[in-house]
Amino acid sequence: MLRYQENNELHRDFHGTTNTTLNYIADHYGVDALKMILRKTGHDVYKSIREKLEKGDASELIEHLNWFFYRERGKYQLTVSENEIVFEVFECPAIRHLRKLKLDPSPHVCLQTSEVNAGMCEGTPWHSEVKIIGEGHCVQTFRKEADHDSK
Amino acid sequence: MIPSDHFVRFYNEVFKFLDKRDGLEAYYKEISRHQELHCLQLFMEKGLQGMEEYWGHIRVEENCICTSYIKDEVRYSYMSRCPSLSKVLDSDAEPCRKYCLHCPGWVAPLMTKCGFYYIKYLRALDQPECYSVFTEYKDKIEAIRQDLIRQGFKYIFTNLDDSEAVEINRTKRHQIQKAHQ
Repeated sequence: MLRYQENNELHRDFHGTTNTTLNYIADHYGVDALKMILRKTGHDVYKSIREKLEKGDASELIEHLNWFFYRERGKYQLTVSENEIVFEVFECPAIRHLRKLKLDPSPHVCLQTSEVNAGMCEGTPWHSEVKIIGEGHCVQTFRKEADHDSK
Repeated sequence: MIPSDHFVRFYNEVFKFLDKRDGLEAYYKEISRHQELHCLQLFMEKGLQGMEEYWGHIRVEENCICTSYIKDEVRYSYMSRCPSLSKVLDSDAEPCRKYCLHCPGWVAPLMTKCGFYYIKYLRALDQPECYSVFTEYKDKIEAIRQDLIRQGFKYIFTNLDDSEAVEINRTKRHQIQKAHQ
């Protein structure tokens, strides 16, 4: 079950504010600072997902990926096996909306995925990886350590 | 992608980071410039009615519980449940104690640029409730400020100190509106 139940109206312009913020932090405080904020967001805001991953339960992570990309009309494919979750995003809703607003996606736009995912996995048997295939197209993989039993 | 539903919880992390580095004010100005994309032309051309249009759309998309009206060339807005602070309070991450300050932080410079006086007031920083007033008449906002001070409101934000810029931009806005008539 999702910790944050969101099913009302959507304000997609927040993707524009995120984009401006990514550039602002990177330009004024450096990319490492931006990564730190994003990782902390993944770690602290998604505490519920992280704590379940710690126990070997990926159910909330799967529900999170599916629900929020479905809700934002992303094009994606989610493949789940016991020790691996592969989430291929064919059209990122955030980048699609930035283009609609006529904003250039920040060079750091994909850090919001890689660092937040890493923050969710911190201290758990799961590791995340993001491969960028093209603009708005990526493969996010969550892999559980093979020799790690559920607690 | 940080879902747009969860943006404010990321925003909260950004505020905590910037607050420790005394960097909030400069960041608010950047957000204000970003918001010009959505608001500047609308507010310059349609004035208070443009604000009703913009925040009317926000009210729906952000699921605000809010009422507003225009009377005697003054726009009044009362947010009885701010969805932004509500989400930040409903988070596993610690709320930034200055979270509410971002709102006047970006709105005040935008209002100055559009030639409007603005005042926002709230009773507490941890309650998702606030009031805002917008008008091009300085004396009306000044009277509200004095009244709020008398009532003991602790958190009052306004652009009255930028009145010189407000007056210049008000003239520009009137010229733009005249050209559109």
